[in-house]
Amino acid sequence: MDSITFLHSSDWQLGMMRRFLGPDGQARWGQARLDAVARIGAVAERTGAAFVVVTGDVFEHNQVERQTILRACEALKRIPVPVVLLPGNHDALEPGSLWTSSQWLAHAPDHVTVLTETTPFRILPGVEIVGAPWRSRRPLSDPAAPAYADLPAEPGTIRILLAHGQLTSLSGGMSEVPPIDQTALEAAVADGRLQYVGLGDRHSTTRVTDRIWFSGTQEVTSPEEDAPGNVLKVTVGGTIEVEPIRVGAWHMVDHRVELFDEESIAALEDWFADLPDKERTYVRLAGDGSLPLPLLARLDSIIDAQGEVFASVERWAKFWTVRPAPDAADLESLQLSGPARAAMEELRQALAGGDEGAGAALSLMHRLARDAG
Amino acid sequence: MRLHSLALRDFRGVKDRSVRFRALGTTVVVGDNEVGKSSLVEAFGLIFDLPDDSKSTRIRDIQPVGQDVGPEVTVELSLGGRELTYAKRWLKNRSTELTAVEPDGRRRSWTGREAHNEAERLFHENVDPVLWQTLMVSQGQSLVLPTPADAEPLITAVTAESGTPVDGASMPLVTAVEHEYLRYWTPRGKPTGDFARSAKAVAAAELAARQALQAMDEVQSDIRRAERLNLDLEDVSGRLTDHLAGVEALRERKQATDEILLRRDSVRSRAETARARLENHTRTRLDRERLLDEVERFTRFEAEHAARRADAELVARTAAELVQAAEATLTDVVELKDVRRTEVQAAERRVSELMDRAELDRLIGQQTELVDVRARIAAAGTVLDRIKVDDALVAALEDARAAVVEARAALAAGVPEVTVRRLGAEPVELSGTGLEGDVPGELGFDESIELLVSGELVVGVPGQVEVTVRAGGEAATLRSRVDDAVRREKDLLKKAGVKDVAAARELLRKADTASAELNEARRTETSLTAGGDPGERIAVLTARLGIGEADEAGAGDSSGKQPAVEGVPGQMSLFEEFTSPHDTLFDDFEVPEPEPDDLAGAQRALETARDGLAESERLLADAEFAAAQARKAADEDRSEAQNARARAELAAERLAAALDSLESARSVLDDDAVAAAESEATADVEAVLDELTAVQEQADAAGADQVADELAAALEVAKRLQDERDRLRDALRTTEGRLEQSGRDGLATRRDVAELELAAVRTEYESLQRRAGAARRVYDTLSRHRAAAQTKYSEPLQSRIDALGRSVYGPSFRVRLDDDLAVAERELDGVRLPVEALSTGAQEQLAIITRLAISHLVSTGDGSVPVIFDDALGWSDKARLRDMGALLGRAGDHGQVIILTCMPDRYEYVPKATFITLDG
Repeated sequence: MDSITFLHSSDWQLGMMRRFLGPDGQARWGQARLDAVARIGAVAERTGAAFVVVTGDVFEHNQVERQTILRACEALKRIPVPVVLLPGNHDALEPGSLWTSSQWLAHAPDHVTVLTETTPFRILPGVEIVGAPWRSRRPLSDPAAPAYADLPAEPGTIRILLAHGQLTSLSGGMSEVPPIDQTALEAAVADGRLQYVGLGDRHSTTRVTDRIWFSGTQEVTSPEEDAPGNVLKVTVGGTIEVEPIRVGAWHMVDHRVELFDEESIAALEDWFADLPDKERTYVRLAGDGSLPLPLLARLDSIIDAQGEVFASVERWAKFWTVRPAPDAADLESLQLSGPARAAMEELRQALAGGDEGAGAALSLMHRLARDAG
Repeated sequence: MRLHSLALRDFRGVKDRSVRFRALGTTVVVGDNEVGKSSLVEAFGLIFDLPDDSKSTRIRDIQPVGQDVGPEVTVELSLGGRELTYAKRWLKNRSTELTAVEPDGRRRSWTGREAHNEAERLFHENVDPVLWQTLMVSQGQSLVLPTPADAEPLITAVTAESGTPVDGASMPLVTAVEHEYLRYWTPRGKPTGDFARSAKAVAAAELAARQALQAMDEVQSDIRRAERLNLDLEDVSGRLTDHLAGVEALRERKQATDEILLRRDSVRSRAETARARLENHTRTRLDRERLLDEVERFTRFEAEHAARRADAELVARTAAELVQAAEATLTDVVELKDVRRTEVQAAERRVSELMDRAELDRLIGQQTELVDVRARIAAAGTVLDRIKVDDALVAALEDARAAVVEARAALAAGVPEVTVRRLGAEPVELSGTGLEGDVPGELGFDESIELLVSGELVVGVPGQVEVTVRAGGEAATLRSRVDDAVRREKDLLKKAGVKDVAAARELLRKADTASAELNEARRTETSLTAGGDPGERIAVLTARLGIGEADEAGAGDSSGKQPAVEGVPGQMSLFEEFTSPHDTLFDDFEVPEPEPDDLAGAQRALETARDGLAESERLLADAEFAAAQARKAADEDRSEAQNARARAELAAERLAAALDSLESARSVLDDDAVAAAESEATADVEAVLDELTAVQEQADAAGADQVADELAAALEVAKRLQDERDRLRDALRTTEGRLEQSGRDGLATRRDVAELELAAVRTEYESLQRRAGAARRVYDTLSRHRAAAQTKYSEPLQSRIDALGRSVYGPSFRVRLDDDLAVAERELDGVRLPVEALSTGAQEQLAIITRLAISHLVSTGDGSVPVIFDDALGWSDKARLRDMGALLGRAGDHGQVIILTCMPDRYEYVPKATFITLDG
């Protein structure tokens, strides 16, 4: 066969949950991940892909609830071409694996194949898929090697390797499990034993070489991901053509702001206003600066309000250092006297002395005084 | 304001009454109920409140019932520096008049409505209504504690004194802060509402998350366990397969070696048979050798024991002879000892006899004397028995003699005295009665007799004459007297046994003599019989000595024979018989001397005999010992001889038996044949053993014996491996089953959901915690500042209440005021109580103290008003009344105090008080 077109996806991690989304956001986001799978089916149909490969972590865990499995099966049914699934570290082919469970076996669609062995799987004449399923969450060596290390080149056959794990070049040496030997992969590609290497585990769409790609997750899972939400349309033969096609609908965004005056507050408001797909967007705010009490109250109000509009707006606790900065004018404007004024003055001085708790108290007292006045 | 006087006319029940109050000090208005005390207070209020044309029911109410008159009130007071006189009459002849003397002395007057308006204006300008209401205590209101926060003069005074302005502007904030605080915290500072619920939700979510996590940890453990089990199972299965191949190889080897082992078993069996035969022959040979040996040994034994038997019997015989000799000697010595004992006995008897005879002699003498004494006693007794005379009887006899003489003399004088004489041979017979003295029947020749005839005397001569003489009548009386005297004398003489008095006297003398003799003889007898009756002892001794009664008479004769000793027949011959054949043995013994007749000699002979006996006893002991020794030796020798004889007989028997056995055995197989059979069997055994050795070498070479063991061990290992594999399979199946179930349960999803839920509630909780913390911080800070301000603000009033209270309750008294300057708590002796918890009396006292304190605080300002108590202190006891009275008196020093009461004794302790009594 001269060439073949197929779709490459990975890290669906169906059943995943995100605490920052809240119950409603979680439900919608979970459904969005299934919808993205369905959209992969549409892309396959549209692009004429012969099959779809998913390189690991189809499920978030081997012990996901039954509903997740059944809905995944339904989503898979909406993909009109054969689908090849590779067990990854999240859904490893370990004892008690989902893939060997009666639940999966009873409901898995017929056009879906799970790679449970490393023996080559001829999906089409002239097209061979080899895969290295994870058999444990803690493999002792290169998790891809068993699939291709001993394979000879087979001229006339397009051989696609499906593997899951971090690459030596991308893991930064921090991976807890052995990474995939990138050099060996490239060598196998170079000597014609492999025509395409589809990788999973990295959620961002990443080109390693022309023929070695991480497809990334079908729907974003974290603000830290770079270019998630794609499926790769791969056309491989003598040449290689890889095209990321977006199937995701959600956004997860980190935003860093400096807040010190009314203008900076207004800028933040504008930034919120400009974001698209607000109901499908999670915003994680990193903030620094100090604000007079009225502005601080306004900021709180803005964030609260945006939290209702967006899927979720969250102060990034680790990077949120916006402090109240009460000035004399704030206090004077309240026209307090006697004990009330003395109390507020005491709190102001405590805040100036570095007492963080005094800041919140001061803000509250300011608001109450303003409302009462 | 100072109230100087108040006058009422036609006001309720008061016709016309005027009361004047002290401008400074305490005035006590005393009056019974219904005399109008309360009307005074009411009148003061009405005159300022209602114009004279008012149609208010209050006016109607004060009109005396059934009288068409106009109630009238006149009041004099100082107000804002002015002196006012204000009079008003309602209903009838209405009028209002006000006169004011200004501070500068100007005098102004108003009438009608103008007067009312001016008075009202002046009153409201100068009298704070709250303070007025606070310090005027109506009847029945004395328990109500004042809340004077809105009394301007008080506020002014407090502010002026404390320097702290009232913080009314902050109150909405305070309320808002409190409201915010109470959203999160209870008044006691415990989390509440959403905050508390959130904390609980976090705890519950943490628990749920922990449980879900734990469940997943167990899943992970199961996964690792299953992985390990898989590895172990693979390993065991591989080892089992390898091992079973080894088992099969061992089986084949075993089949090959089984044939050799069968052969070896056959040879081994034959070897056993040959060995058994050889053992039989060897046993036969050994039996024969044993028989031969026995015959030889028993022959030797038999001869040896026969010699021993002869020796022993000889020894026994010799010993028996020695025994006989020793026993003969013993017999001799026994006899000698008997002789010696006999001699001693004889000597003892002789000594005894001699001593008895001496005693007998003494006793016989004693008895002779005793017989004599007893004869004397008997004689004296006889004499005494015979003599019936005693001193009294002799005296009676003498008296009787005298009576006879006297009677006879009278008779002789009164009767004829006849003298009869026989002259012839013819008998003269006398008879008659009443004749004195014995009248012979017949008179002898030439015999005469003189007779006093007191009766009748017949004198006859038979055949010749008979003369009868008869006495006269008196003669009979005289005769009777004589007879009586004679008869008495005769009776006495008869009794005395004498013929006359002289004889009686003689007898009396004899009796005395005999009595003395008797006594002396009895004493002698007593001494003689002190040692017993000599006769009995004599009888004993004579019996013992063998002396007959005949001899007894001559017992005193010491020359008697010694029959006891000498009378033993054959004694000497026996002795001689004993001593004569043993002269050599008894040479040192003397023939006893003839018995001595004296006691000393007899005793010496006894000593000699006793020495002889002792010697013979020693000889006897020696002889007995020698005899016993000889008998013992003889017994032993005899026993030895018997044993020797028995052993000799036994040896002979055994020899005979051995000979029989040998003979019997030889009759079956002679000695040579026995040896030959054994040699043949030995050769057979050696041959079969050689064959066995060869087969065993074959077996060893093939390792036949080890193969079976190895196979058994290998099978055991195989079994163990199979068991282990089965166990691992089971464990794996179980673990996988659990994991399958975990998958079905969606434990990971559950954990994620639980963690999500936990994160959500925790986020909410942290948010609430921040807000609650802020609320608390604000609340605490504001409260602290407010408390400090309040303390400072209320201090002027509080210090006065404390000061007044301490004069009543002592130094531990203090109060705490609330924001409205009202007393909230009272502290006494360290115990703090809210005012509601105080007793009624304490509440009333505290209300009065507080009012006096307020009065004191405002007294220096223009806004001061009198303190008026209408009927108070009804709840206080005597002791408190005294203290409260003192307090009221002191209050009068600073202001005007007016007390209305029907109980003046409650206020008798108020110093310097002016009492005004209202009459009914």
